Amino acid sequence: MVTKISRKGQVQLSETIAVLFIFFVLIVFGIIFYYKYQQVAIKQQSEELLAARAMDTTLRILFLPELFCSQGDAEPEDNCIDVLKLRQVNETIQKHLEDYYFDLFSYSTVTVAQLYPVPRTFVVYDKLKLEYTKRESTYFVVSVRDDTLGSYGYGYVKVEVYS
Amino acid sequence: MMNSKQGQLEISFNWIYIMIAGVVILLFFTGIIVRQKVASEQQLSTDVVRIMESIFTAAGVSEKTKNSIDTSGITDYTLTFTCENGVGEYGVKDGSRVQNAIEPVFAPLELQSSRLSLWSLPYKLPFKVIDFLFITSENTKYFLLGNDQFITEFLNETAADDKIRFHINTQHLSTLDDMAVGNNFQIRVVDFSAAITDGRAVPSAVKDMDDDRVTAVVFTTDNVDYYQKQGMVWKKLNRAPIPIISVGGERDAAKYAAIFAGNDQIYQCNMQKAFYRLKLLNEVYGGAAINTGQVGGKLQEIISYYEHHPDIASRRPDCLGHIQVYPQNMVSTLASHQNKVAACLLQPSFCVDLISSAAQLKELNENLRVDCITLY
Repeated sequence: MVTKISRKGQVQLSETIAVLFIFFVLIVFGIIFYYKYQQVAIKQQSEELLAARAMDTTLRILFLPELFCSQGDAEPEDNCIDVLKLRQVNETIQKHLEDYYFDLFSYSTVTVAQLYPVPRTFVVYDKLKLEYTKRESTYFVVSVRDDTLGSYGYGYVKVEVYS
Repeated sequence: MMNSKQGQLEISFNWIYIMIAGVVILLFFTGIIVRQKVASEQQLSTDVVRIMESIFTAAGVSEKTKNSIDTSGITDYTLTFTCENGVGEYGVKDGSRVQNAIEPVFAPLELQSSRLSLWSLPYKLPFKVIDFLFITSENTKYFLLGNDQFITEFLNETAADDKIRFHINTQHLSTLDDMAVGNNFQIRVVDFSAAITDGRAVPSAVKDMDDDRVTAVVFTTDNVDYYQKQGMVWKKLNRAPIPIISVGGERDAAKYAAIFAGNDQIYQCNMQKAFYRLKLLNEVYGGAAINTGQVGGKLQEIISYYEHHPDIASRRPDCLGHIQVYPQNMVSTLASHQNKVAACLLQPSFCVDLISSAAQLKELNENLRVDCITLY
């Protein structure tokens, strides 16, 4: 009689251990699944943030008082860059990169490429992130005003942001 | 008899075991739920701040934009706006916040609403320095008191735009006694009649409102003073009058900013951001050493052009004249402007001197517009 009860107990204990084992296996599977899902979601979110930062930086550049074509008290010209400022702005930006412009453009490279009348490229801002994992580039077509020539050229603004 | 006792023990043990295991499992899942709740609240708060940052950037960089944001999903949260030592901070109260040392944001200290209205205006001194961003809500009411012409301009400029659901809650009052507070989160009195003074009784309509929900800004000739309700009277917040640093004209961003700023500290802190940017712009226009009278930047480009084109320079002698020859010229005025900016950044009471040099630069630029290359 004693032996019979002991066997029954052994069977019950094995059942309990098996149930607990399956239960914890399911929990571990759940945790792994959730972790993988979070990893993908974080990666996706960081890509979205980088794309948003690229757009924000482009927007900032297009409306930057240091670059845009002003017209006295009137509204500045849309999507236009003043070449007389463009030739000089890099000096000011480099001088105040750490204390001001980094907060504005973060890790990015901003270049203005004039295509007509004279093809040439100006680096407006350059702060490269060492060992960056991803780079996002955006381009925007602009007109380039040269008051000394009294004419307009055209080109594009290239904004590269790093993460 | 022995078997029966063993059976009783076995049943009790099973129940105790089930109870303990059940509690452990319940605690495990409760823990996960609590952690997830905290994490999702934090996530929501971060998302709100990130979206705010993105919207503020877009609204702040383009001139004269009016926007409205549907914030009905976060009406339970209070958005806060502060600015100290040239660094602004905004975000969710007791949640995520973001710092901003660049863009001047003028807003009440707290907002809790289902819709925010955003408006940007360019700040010029005399050339465009930066865009000021004004943020307010539908349930923040602005009472305009007095007969100043600016009141008409303000009411026209802030008229509701149904297409984008932009709405600034304003009302023109003849006297403070006409005030009806309604169901608003907070009120701001904009006084052009000097009806509000330190220690004077607040209108009976606002007596039951919380002190920090009732504020006033009083415009005197070229200055502003900030007040807040303290018990039953008005309490002046700033010691010395705060000058409005601008070259005047319509849509005077500095004047509008004074209306939307939560208090004197927010106003002055954000103005300092603009003055720092002005220093950098002066360098772009006049070079890094313009404060010493040594020309560089765009101004040097213009001078070089005329020096390399003597035929044009001789046909239009006023061009170089206005730039560097005449007693009042662009080089010396820009140098003076830059020195005044430096003084202003050190001591805000010197900022008022910027008005005269900005007006001179504006006049010189107008002279150049006739037949020369302009500075801005």
